[in-house]
Amino acid sequence: MSFRIHALAVALVLTAGSAVAQQRIPLNDTALAAQACNVCHGSQSYLSPAMPAIRGVDAATLYTALIELKTDKRPSTIMGRISRGYSDEQLKALADYLSKN
Amino acid sequence: MTSNISRRKILAGLGATAGLFAAPHIARAQGSAGRVVVIGGGFGGATAARYIKLFSPDIDVVLVERDATYVTCPFSNYVLAGIRDINSITHRRDPLGQRYGVRLVRGEATAVDTSARSVKLKDGANLPYDRLVVAPGIELNYAGVPGWSEQAANTVMPHAWKAGPQTVLLRRQLEAMADGGTVIIAPPANPFRCPPGPYERVSMIAWYLKTHKPKSKILILDAKDAFSKQGLFMAGWESQYPGMITWIAGKDGGKVESVDPKGMTVIAGFGKEKGAVINVIPPQTAGKIALDAGLAESNGWCAVDPNNFASRKAQNVYVLGDASIAGQMPKSGTSANSQAKVVAANIVASLRGVQPPAAVYHNTCYSLVTPDYGISVSDTYRPGSQGPTLVPNSGGVSPARADAAHRKAEAEYTMGWYASIIADTFG
Repeated sequence: MSFRIHALAVALVLTAGSAVAQQRIPLNDTALAAQACNVCHGSQSYLSPAMPAIRGVDAATLYTALIELKTDKRPSTIMGRISRGYSDEQLKALADYLSKN
Repeated sequence: MTSNISRRKILAGLGATAGLFAAPHIARAQGSAGRVVVIGGGFGGATAARYIKLFSPDIDVVLVERDATYVTCPFSNYVLAGIRDINSITHRRDPLGQRYGVRLVRGEATAVDTSARSVKLKDGANLPYDRLVVAPGIELNYAGVPGWSEQAANTVMPHAWKAGPQTVLLRRQLEAMADGGTVIIAPPANPFRCPPGPYERVSMIAWYLKTHKPKSKILILDAKDAFSKQGLFMAGWESQYPGMITWIAGKDGGKVESVDPKGMTVIAGFGKEKGAVINVIPPQTAGKIALDAGLAESNGWCAVDPNNFASRKAQNVYVLGDASIAGQMPKSGTSANSQAKVVAANIVASLRGVQPPAAVYHNTCYSLVTPDYGISVSDTYRPGSQGPTLVPNSGGVSPARADAAHRKAEAEYTMGWYASIIADTFG
């Protein structure tokens, strides 16, 4: 094996290691529930260009949006239906988590 | 020894980098964090493997998969319509190894010893596990439709219910069909993979026929009396494809009694019908390995604990996705992806000896009536006595009355969902 390939392999190991370390998900109710959002909105490693951004959005803004979607104050296609599956407290915890992750 | 060598060969065949950086993970995992084997690299299995690593990178995760690439059933109807290329729905699993340290083993699991906690592969190799995830998808019951066979499916009457060569075959038959012919589609009784799938397929074939062979007709010979998103589909067909589509319910003689591949005819309760193209969607069971491992009930599907999808039949084994009996959740890619996250969290918690987080499940299934007309079903579920159960006063389907902009938005979100779930599943 040439040095070039060795060097590439080492670089890949380091990249893979750091990527995994950055994305570690905590083992709690809110973090698990929040992963459901990824199937449409993407995640840290894939931010969807087609869907409204939710990650990194200010927690209060996100919570207000979720409550307005839940009560149909804000029109939507599917988010009204989805947000009604959670209590206001759960939505607040989800908004907090998503704003930081 | 021989089997070890052959497995190494398989690993090497996946690419030098995968083997190289997997090594440190194995060294760290041995005797400490634990080892998980995942059988099946579809929406359920690949998501489980990836999320175990996202929760806990030090767990050794081995993903066993027979096929080199994964062709998704979602969006395969768009290949039939001619609006999507088969290559665009074909995905590699390499990122699971390269970015997350999942060890990819190409091979076929042929047996599971649940007391010795070991998976046997076709090449003779044994993979020991602390926890096992079984996500084999479905097995098609060719004998479930008299007169039909695997050979008939591979030549004149495709199922196209596992995407890939079958999808391409059905597309070619639609292309070869003369204008004015009848396409017969025969969906099975419940339960089966992707409840709205046959009716989205009808819509997408109708789109192709309307734009290329407008004198043609579609006849749905259904074993059922009702189907997923029925009101939305039927209203969509009436407005977009008037006069083209006929649906015959099981109670009206729609259930197919037998087929004749040579004569290209179908015999249903109401009589005999000839088709230019005939798509038989047969009854199904859990994937073969789940049956062989003794994980299935007499109905061919696997009972699980609604809190974590642990098998009702074996310790330290989890069954998820289409193979499982998942209460009110449909057999869909999004369901499997959601179940896999709960399974991953539960496996990590059990290996750490801590309390798992509470299970909550989610499903969203988009369907296209036309390329600019999308509809959806979206639901949240929590564990209940009969399996995952709909959260009251939430979820449901798209509104019956909506303007074109609303339908267009859902069609655009259909595309967004696909890109996101592929990234969320395969990395």
